[in-house]
Amino acid sequence: MTSIVFTENGNGNGSLSSLNYDNLLTYAKGIAGIGPVWDKTELPIYDSGAMTHILKESKIKKIIIAGDEPGMLKPFLSKAMSLVGEDPGKVILVNFKEHGFFTNESFELAKTLLLFAIKDIPFEKVLVPEEHNVNKDTLVIGAGIAGIQASLEIADGQQKVFLVEKSGTIGGHMAMFDKTFPTLDCAACILTPKMVEIGQHDNIELLTYSELKSVTGSPGNYKVIIHKKARRVNLATCIACGICSEKCPGKASSDFDAGTTQRKSIYIPFPQAVPNKYMIDENSCIYVENGKCGVCVKVCPVPDCINLDEKDEDVEINVGNIIVATGFKTFDAKRIDQFGYGKYPNVITSLELERLVNAAGPTGGFIKFRTQNKKKNWIFSPESDEPKSIAIVHCVGSRDENYNKYCSKVCCMYSLKLAHLIKEKLPEAEVSEYYIDMRAFGKGYEEFYERIKNENIHIIRGRTAQVDQNGSGLIIRTEDIEKGLLIEQKVDMVVLSVGIEPAEGASSLAKMLNLHQDINGWFSGKNYISDPTSTISGGISIAGVCESPKDIPDTVAQASAAASSVLQSIMKVKTT
Amino acid sequence: MIQRVNPNLKKDLLKLGVKDWNECFHCGNCTAICQLTEEDSLNPRKVFRQAQLGLKTSLQANISPWMCYYCGECSDTCPRDANPGELMMSLRRYLTSIYDWTGLSRLFYTNKFMEFAAILGLATIVILLFAIWGPPLDPTLTSEGGVKINSFAPIKWIELGDWSMAVVVAALLISNILNMFYKVIIKPGVKIPLSVYATELWKLPAHFATQAKFRKCDTKGKYYWGAHWMMMTGYTIMFILIVVFLPEFQVEEIYDWWHWQRLLGYYSTFGLLFGLIYVIIGRIKQNNQIFKFSHLSDWLFVIMLFMTTVSGIMLHLFRINGMPYATYYTYIAHIAILIPMICIEVPFSKWSHLAYRPFAIYFASLKKAASEKQYKTGLAAEIA
Ligand SMILES: Cc1cc2nc3c(=O)[nH]c(=O)nc-3n(C[C@H](O)[C@H](O)[C@H](O)COP(=O)(O)OP(=O)(O)OC[C@H]3O[C@@H](n4cnc5c(N)ncnc54)[C@H](O)[C@@H]3O)c2cc1C
Ligand code: SF4
Ligand code: SF4
Ligand code: SF4
Ligand code: SF4
Repeated sequence: MTSIVFTENGNGNGSLSSLNYDNLLTYAKGIAGIGPVWDKTELPIYDSGAMTHILKESKIKKIIIAGDEPGMLKPFLSKAMSLVGEDPGKVILVNFKEHGFFTNESFELAKTLLLFAIKDIPFEKVLVPEEHNVNKDTLVIGAGIAGIQASLEIADGQQKVFLVEKSGTIGGHMAMFDKTFPTLDCAACILTPKMVEIGQHDNIELLTYSELKSVTGSPGNYKVIIHKKARRVNLATCIACGICSEKCPGKASSDFDAGTTQRKSIYIPFPQAVPNKYMIDENSCIYVENGKCGVCVKVCPVPDCINLDEKDEDVEINVGNIIVATGFKTFDAKRIDQFGYGKYPNVITSLELERLVNAAGPTGGFIKFRTQNKKKNWIFSPESDEPKSIAIVHCVGSRDENYNKYCSKVCCMYSLKLAHLIKEKLPEAEVSEYYIDMRAFGKGYEEFYERIKNENIHIIRGRTAQVDQNGSGLIIRTEDIEKGLLIEQKVDMVVLSVGIEPAEGASSLAKMLNLHQDINGWFSGKNYISDPTSTISGGISIAGVCESPKDIPDTVAQASAAASSVLQSIMKVKTT
Repeated sequence: MIQRVNPNLKKDLLKLGVKDWNECFHCGNCTAICQLTEEDSLNPRKVFRQAQLGLKTSLQANISPWMCYYCGECSDTCPRDANPGELMMSLRRYLTSIYDWTGLSRLFYTNKFMEFAAILGLATIVILLFAIWGPPLDPTLTSEGGVKINSFAPIKWIELGDWSMAVVVAALLISNILNMFYKVIIKPGVKIPLSVYATELWKLPAHFATQAKFRKCDTKGKYYWGAHWMMMTGYTIMFILIVVFLPEFQVEEIYDWWHWQRLLGYYSTFGLLFGLIYVIIGRIKQNNQIFKFSHLSDWLFVIMLFMTTVSGIMLHLFRINGMPYATYYTYIAHIAILIPMICIEVPFSKWSHLAYRPFAIYFASLKKAASEKQYKTGLAAEIA
């Protein structure tokens, strides 16, 4: 007699799965010739005596444990089987989650899986099937610190990597920062050497200004079409002299500087960009708009380097494994009306402040007011005045039922870092920080918090509710929870510690690659606890913030994990 | 003040319509977004704390719920969807039931059946009284063609009824306010110099007449203050007309439309209707935070007032158009709705806020003035 034990009931494992186990149990009970079917709670778990009695009574020869975490019952039931003289190897696990059956859309598949187990048909879903030939080349999507780290590790393992990056340069968000918490190491000192290595590595083919168009095939052999946007500047011949940019009349707001300043239509995202080549932004280029410019072509010293009529193209590549490392975007602070972002010029976001405190940023590392230039664009320029008091507001868009419910995990720490950097740049300035809970969870983080507390910064518990402009200053209202008093503080500048959200286009990528996204849009690994970087789609891994909010050390660790599973799959099997 | 945590407070509050409050994580957003927050008198987060902890004595001494006008900003922006504004609303019910020493308020709030029974019972008594008394149903009309209302319901009897109702209601309200005074000022041991009672007294009528505090809440295209003020003034003027000026109000002559009596009557009716329709549409559409949750008492309040207003309008129209029987029966119906509305809703239910709110403001200013005075004398002593 074969028996089935369900380790879950109701709607699966809450946050992770919504498969209806009660219905599965009813279904199982109706299978012809099946023995007793139990919900885990109906069994005398951890009482071997009682269990052996049940097994003997029902003459059970085989047990199937089915659920999200079936492994936990295996030792107990195997032991009970051997106690009654049955084969403990006849305890079979059916892990629905591992097969990607998270929702009731997979209900029919879950039923089939049960039948396979009963009939002893092997159903192990193989990450990379042995009988297939695995293509040794790997595609990495997104070149932030996660994509960079993973690419370098695989490339150093003598395997070929295609690194696809949406923007014109690699580096991701980390390239924008001046210092990193908690050590206050210079971000560029860590990142730039890695970026240069990517640019020079024989095993890495870099495809910037490119995005995925389609993916077909199966684990081990994926055919990927990549859409390369026209850069209009020849990557091979451009010598990055910048003469074109100097003379270019077109202007747009700089993405790399988080919109804090303007750049030309022909530009390089930042001086250390990799590839270190110029590019043209078609949205602001006057020639692209009306065909009437071409100044850059005239001044460029390299013949035929700029081709204003270059078209986008599609490139086809074949890879065996894919690592997704698309990172995040920051929460759009305009969505919260009461903070006045976008309305009051000196309400700024943390990412903007990161650029201001960066010596390579728009103000040369000085914190300045936002002012209007001659063309009425709001920018930060080195000529404007310095604020004398700055308030930092935590949890903007995070831990909030109206926006994102989750904690963005990095903003408490980066806020402390920013408070320190403000004090470093403006020692006389009054700096206040308003928080709900201070989440300083990592190695050296609590110590960092203690250190910042002693730097003459007002750290006040309470969520700021409102920011209003008053003359040239800003008034912010917060309750100081510890004192139980309402504080109306007048400050010159307010920094919003915006939370983080899945990158633009994460959902369409998820569809293309058949990835599971959690309720907030982050990609889900096979098992959040024990296998966070593999996914239910064989041969596709995830790494970095695209999986869930995390800081740089955690991102790098995940990137290494994803790289190692790719290398493992290449080593394990016969390859083409 | 040492206080015991009262684990039963939660059960008690749940009965009065308080929703689960575990959601609140004490970020203080509500306190900071509320335009009416004032130290010691309104701090929504502290109210939440007291409720969560079961600090019954503090909660009973807290006047915050009365200082809140339910603009709903705090609920709209609460990061935990904990709905502090609704908690304040429910606590107004709780406090009303606590101040009311008869226990009827609590009974009506927690037992729908009893509330309906009381309302219907009183209405039946009114109808029975009319039936027993058997007023003459005179079909003839006055020379102007109006109904002879005063022979149907003689002024002196109606006045007697009016005044006795006013006295009973006033006695109940005053005793409840004294109870509130005890809970808010005496029990927590707040020391207030006698002179302060006098110097702050003007705030009572001033607030009652203008509801000025409420104006701060009208941001972002909300017009609660206006709607509320019209309803309140309409109601008050009408109340004064029927109690104090009955002989001038219930008349058989048909005055010109610009006569003060008719103008006041029309204003009150318009004010009531305008405010009521605003509230009823809001409650049905639930278009704003403050209308999202409607307790039975919230509905009864508007429905009874609406019925009174409409029957009043009909009464007026029937009378001046010379429709005697319609006038007489509508009169009975009007009184049969009016009496339970005033006798039940004013002392025991939602309407009591018309008294508690100005007094809460008065008590709050007493506390504030007293502590300021204490601070000043302390300072003077220190300097000397
Ligand atoms: C203001 C701020 C300050 C911070 N300070 C610190 C700090 O001091 N220390 C610390 O440890 N952490 C800090 N962090 C967190 C840190 O930024 C992240 O941990 C880290 O950047 C994550 O790297 P990532 O590679 O996963 O993502 P990202 O840096 O976001 O990189 C993702 C890359 O993928 C690209 N991409 C996105 N979608 C696609 C697509 N569809 N196709 C191709 N490419 C795509 C993007 O262009 C980007 O280059 C901070 C975060 C913020 C917001
Ligand atoms: S053609 Fe476009 S990129 Fe070149 S100079 Fe003109 S505006 Fe600038
Ligand atoms: S890390 Fe800190 S600031 Fe960011 S969401 Fe979490 S608690 Fe709020
Ligand atoms: S009720 Fe909401 S806004 Fe007020 S303290 Fe609690 S969580 Fe914050
Ligand atoms: S509802 Fe309005 S008045 Fe009442 S506490 Fe909330 S914000 Fe203040």
